[in-house]
Amino acid sequence: MSSFGFGLITAAVLAIATVGFTMQFAVTNVLNLAYGSVMINSAYVTYYLNIHHVTIWLALIGGVITGAVTSWCLNRFIFTPFQRRNLAPITVVIVALGVDLIGTFGLQAVVGSSYVAFHQTAGHEYHFAGMILNGLQLIILGLCAVVLGLIHWLLKYTRLGKAMRATSANPNLARNSGVKTQFIISTTWLISGALCGLAGTVFAMNTGVFEATSAQLYIVLLLAAMFLGGPGEPYGAMFGALIIGLSTEISAAYINPQYKEVIAFLVLLGMLAFRPYGIFGSEKTL
Amino acid sequence: MSAELSKPGQHLVATGLSAGYDGRAIVSGIDIEALPGTVASIVGPNGSGKSTLLKSLVGVVKVLEGQVKIGDNVVTNTAPEEIAKLGIGYVPQIDDVFPPLSVRENLEIGGYLLPRRDVEASIEAVLESFPRLKSMLTRKAGKLSGGERKMLAMGRVLMLSPSVLVLDEPTANLAPLVATQLLEEYIRGFADAGSTVLLVEQRAKAALRISNWTYVLGGGRIVLSGAPKDLEENPLFVESFLGGAAPTK
Repeated sequence: MSSFGFGLITAAVLAIATVGFTMQFAVTNVLNLAYGSVMINSAYVTYYLNIHHVTIWLALIGGVITGAVTSWCLNRFIFTPFQRRNLAPITVVIVALGVDLIGTFGLQAVVGSSYVAFHQTAGHEYHFAGMILNGLQLIILGLCAVVLGLIHWLLKYTRLGKAMRATSANPNLARNSGVKTQFIISTTWLISGALCGLAGTVFAMNTGVFEATSAQLYIVLLLAAMFLGGPGEPYGAMFGALIIGLSTEISAAYINPQYKEVIAFLVLLGMLAFRPYGIFGSEKTL
Repeated sequence: MSAELSKPGQHLVATGLSAGYDGRAIVSGIDIEALPGTVASIVGPNGSGKSTLLKSLVGVVKVLEGQVKIGDNVVTNTAPEEIAKLGIGYVPQIDDVFPPLSVRENLEIGGYLLPRRDVEASIEAVLESFPRLKSMLTRKAGKLSGGERKMLAMGRVLMLSPSVLVLDEPTANLAPLVATQLLEEYIRGFADAGSTVLLVEQRAKAALRISNWTYVLGGGRIVLSGAPKDLEENPLFVESFLGGAAPTK
């Protein structure tokens, strides 16, 4: 059961990250492989604010803003210009990979390769249903629930969210209906970027210590969760994150935890082989 | 057709129009117009450029030469979202709804440019005209049948009470009875209520029945045009599109 508890926390962090990741893919068709580097850069902004006497929860807002602004800039100044040239989608994937490497190792060049940690306390331990969770982990779970609830409200009940879904489903028809899709796309990158920044910070909180390359393999978990739920499907991303989070942590109880990304990759391969459009997706998604 | 769903039509004119993709013209030298209170139809074989022509009028495909005017506004190469603001409703041949969105959400996106307080009244007006949609408001558009989907596509553009309706093969893949109802009841009704309709239609006979003027497109150019009565007596048109010989006088 303790593995289940760890799995829930991993799933919570992954869910925040995957929802942002899949929203970017849904609205702009960009598989942003630089997501992990934006996450860790955002975590470092939180860290520097935190070590300069800003409480972790206020510093987290700095990380969220960093994620939002960086993601918006990536779309505006890198991905959109490449997409406008009508290049093959794989070109943009390669560009994203390049941005990821520059973002990660550029950060490492600046901050060094030592591990750092936030000034935070894990809080009391709580025992229930065979699980042991500390205060920090409970806050991460609560944060995840609030964020996912807000995303659900945004997508389902607001004019902006419906326009985002319409733009994702059929951008030309959305424009013919009067939707300014460029504005919707920019807003989506801001919101998904904010999720990326938040995910980076809570990822770093959860791991306790981190360094510039800590999120490098995280893209495997993101891809597995996204493809499991269905590419471009925010609700699928939540479901995919839950399954990947639980399966990787529970498997870590039986195999070397260093190989838990392999479990995620196996799930991803299985999904691609048998249902490439994911559980919540449709064939048209791909 | 609910009177609330139509506005007085606007004059739609395209002159010397060439349009296409990547700088290559698919249609050229096009002169067409659609008048308020009338249906103007475009017929022609597959690949003649009918859909490209309509897309160029609503800003989806680039106009390479010529001019498009709606009422007093020159709208050549204007963005689709700006054209929608002028009261132009466009229903494409395919991908005419948002499949993952519910029927209600599709209608709400159709009314995206309306003040929020007017959206509900507009949905009610659309449902009055398409009562079959009432029972499926929560169903995803991707789960609808062909006929239901086309009604939703029509309902979506009617949310803004357009003054000009541009329709690309609205009866494609519909059962004959549903197609006839859509053309004769809804589309003709829209023009009779005073609006302007420009229609691309594969079923030439059905198009002639509801049109005031018909253009024949071939190889990206207008090869023939006239009132339906005149076309029905034109041997070339009858042989090409009506599958028989022209009536002898």
